[in-house]
Amino acid sequence: MPGTILENLSGRKLSILVAILLICQITCFLIGGLVAPSPAGSQSILTTVCYDDQPNLFTDDGRWFTSKCKSINLDDKHAGLNASNYVFMGKMPLYNMDFSRWHQNLVGVLQVEMEHGKETTTTDVIDLTLDVKLGYRNKEDPDDKWTYHSSSEEKRIVECSSPNKEDKYSYSCSTVQLFELGSLHHDYYLLNFRIPVDDKGTNAKVGFISDIYLIIIHMNVGFTKVWLSLKTVFFPILIMIMAWFWNRVHLLQRTPALLEYLLMVVGGTLAILDAPLEFLTLYFDIPFMLLLSDIRQGVFYAALLSFWIIFAGEHMLIQDGAHKNTLKTYWMHLSGILVGCLSLLIFDLCERGVHLHNPFYSIWVTPIGTNLALSFIILAGISAGIYFIFLCYMIWMAYRNISIKRSVLPTMSTARRLHYEGIIYRFNFLMLVTIICAAVTIISFILSQIAEGQNKWDENVELEVSSALFTGVYGMWNIYTFAMLILYAPSHKQWPTDSICGDNGEEVEFSRLPTDPSPNEISSLTTFASKASID
Amino acid sequence: MGLALGELLQMSEAPHCHKLPGLSAGQGRICQLYQDHMLAVASGAHQALLECRHQFQHRRWNCSVLDELNVFGPVTSIPSRETAFTHALAAAGVTYAVSRACRDGHLSSCGCSRMGRPKTLKKDWIWGGCGDNLEYGYKFTQGFIDVRERERKFKKGSRRQGQSLMNLHNNEAGRRAVIKTSRVTCKCHGVSGSCSLITCWQQLSNFREIGDYIRDKYDGATEVRVTKHGRLKLRNSKFRLPTANDLVYLEESPNYCLRNVSIGSLGTQGRTCNRTSIDLDGCNLLCCGRGYNTLKSTIKERCQCKFKWCCEVECKTCIKSVELHTCK
Repeated sequence: MPGTILENLSGRKLSILVAILLICQITCFLIGGLVAPSPAGSQSILTTVCYDDQPNLFTDDGRWFTSKCKSINLDDKHAGLNASNYVFMGKMPLYNMDFSRWHQNLVGVLQVEMEHGKETTTTDVIDLTLDVKLGYRNKEDPDDKWTYHSSSEEKRIVECSSPNKEDKYSYSCSTVQLFELGSLHHDYYLLNFRIPVDDKGTNAKVGFISDIYLIIIHMNVGFTKVWLSLKTVFFPILIMIMAWFWNRVHLLQRTPALLEYLLMVVGGTLAILDAPLEFLTLYFDIPFMLLLSDIRQGVFYAALLSFWIIFAGEHMLIQDGAHKNTLKTYWMHLSGILVGCLSLLIFDLCERGVHLHNPFYSIWVTPIGTNLALSFIILAGISAGIYFIFLCYMIWMAYRNISIKRSVLPTMSTARRLHYEGIIYRFNFLMLVTIICAAVTIISFILSQIAEGQNKWDENVELEVSSALFTGVYGMWNIYTFAMLILYAPSHKQWPTDSICGDNGEEVEFSRLPTDPSPNEISSLTTFASKASID
Repeated sequence: MGLALGELLQMSEAPHCHKLPGLSAGQGRICQLYQDHMLAVASGAHQALLECRHQFQHRRWNCSVLDELNVFGPVTSIPSRETAFTHALAAAGVTYAVSRACRDGHLSSCGCSRMGRPKTLKKDWIWGGCGDNLEYGYKFTQGFIDVRERERKFKKGSRRQGQSLMNLHNNEAGRRAVIKTSRVTCKCHGVSGSCSLITCWQQLSNFREIGDYIRDKYDGATEVRVTKHGRLKLRNSKFRLPTANDLVYLEESPNYCLRNVSIGSLGTQGRTCNRTSIDLDGCNLLCCGRGYNTLKSTIKERCQCKFKWCCEVECKTCIKSVELHTCK
């Protein structure tokens, strides 16, 4: 009983299956586009400048500046005050709204607006040092009870350009990330910071600040709900398909093949990614959820990349004698993935891992940190390059071998030839699907950048493009994995030996060649190829 | 606009609407509904006034306003280029100020909050796509400023109706100038900080840049006339059709050389001019050929300054001798 379902499925059944999967795919796109709002939203908060009469008490955990503070207008000249008297305050979120735990996470970005003065000029690269602290409050707390969350002294590099150096024109300055919270467990957050000055040159280059905006970026509640619902739907389906697949494999009187193990790994990592763990954040404070999501996603894509390499390798049709279908055969090919993923993991731990301890931390501000981060990213890039060279080489080899074997086909009997051609066609079909999926991912990635970058003043467009692309791509890889698990599951059909023709013209069946050396091969295409090479 | 600004700006709390002179009936109603917006409206109008003076400091018409109380005074009686400019600038100032006021959280009905939002704003699903305060400022200003032109009905094709249409067009141009000059800034915050997830927001530009933009539009304003059917049409069909971002006017401006309060001209007598310039600020053009007086003097000036955050400017003192020319 050789072969997978893909090879034994009739054309009609295959097209029905493909149609169902396509409908699921389109549904995923439409759910994102029509139901969900855009994935993330932002609020620009104009920070209020507060007067601090006791600057030495700034670091006191119980002392907070809220919207009730005595505010200062930066345009006015205040004699006798110095930098430590100025505290910038931003309450998040704006107005009388409050964060919901569905908002998931929060990124804070600072935008410093500086003006040219009549008499002053500033340099273009400014080292900004900030004393920051973050507090939180819940709805049931009294109005002025803010609880300490974290604090730090942080450095940021602001790059400014000034096309027009006349009075009152502003510099155009880059924004800087200030903090990132992996969980949004409380209702309100409060940011206090000041720009200290000392004799050692701290903040000496800072120009005349007219405004400081705090931009906060959060996930949208609607998107999180749609996203989690998708996950909740996919997760049990995936588990069922995996159980069915494994059951199929175990019905056979052989040990599972490498590709079957790998399909289980891909399914397993996708199951980890699909598991709607985010529901826990509604009840518990889990700051590492952001890091965990990164890791889950990384592990899934690593498994998928490994699967492709081994899939191509198994179909390369070079079987020199004994069949080597262990992971060890592919250590060289997989090392690229491993190195790439490890360097990305370390980079992620350096940034988001440290955020668990200090949400204000950024690896990019110190020269060593920048070099370290860059080297990890470059390393990951190199490994990705090596991986793609390997993958392309192996796919090319597989196709070359298949076309060589194809030339042997005319010497075979008609029914067998038709069937082999069908197998090659379906193999090609699946390769095509993989390429389409990868291409769609890349294109949607680029499209979402464009969609976000544009001004959205057109009110007639009801489709939320970036959400549609997000749920669409996520759904696509799920459906892709479902398809692989279903189509590459071993077929249960018992084949009559040496009978060439099936019951009807559609379902052509074929038998394992009697000289076949390996009983545990997954695909009859592989069987065919190795047989041909023996011939 | 016609708001009493000096009075308004001194108040720290939202002013009472009936105390504000110059509001039309419709504006008065909006004022009642959105009392907390009025401080922003007033400061926007004030900023527009300052900007107008800056933009026209070297021209014959230097945004002459007869007194502080009536910001945009009699100049509005003739539908000239200058009227177009002041309307656009006032609309821009209010849009700008309301958008900005939204961002410090003092207004009750901005952006995402449900209370009293204009109905035309996009729906959100807990804060999706509603964080844009620029859109709010635009919509609010549209309601507040344009209501003045819409509440009186004139005979179709009449001069007053044409002026009303012109004002509406220029108000829109002013509001759009704020949007046109705003910058989009984006931040990547996806997996490992990658750009798989990217969020963008509108960043208001400095009001000086908005003023420059509208001044450019003033220089390229199009002359139109009103048709019998009550629509605006190009006076000279060879010109390009103005877009919603461009300014339009109905009548040529006077030369503003002599004082004539009824047309909003203060005259250029006593204005300082630039002797060497051949541009509009040159003594020849600015003084309308009447000649100029020259006064030599030495002045002390602060120079080579260094700014120290937050509140210090360290300067040296330079002594310069200057010639001051004033129009006869």
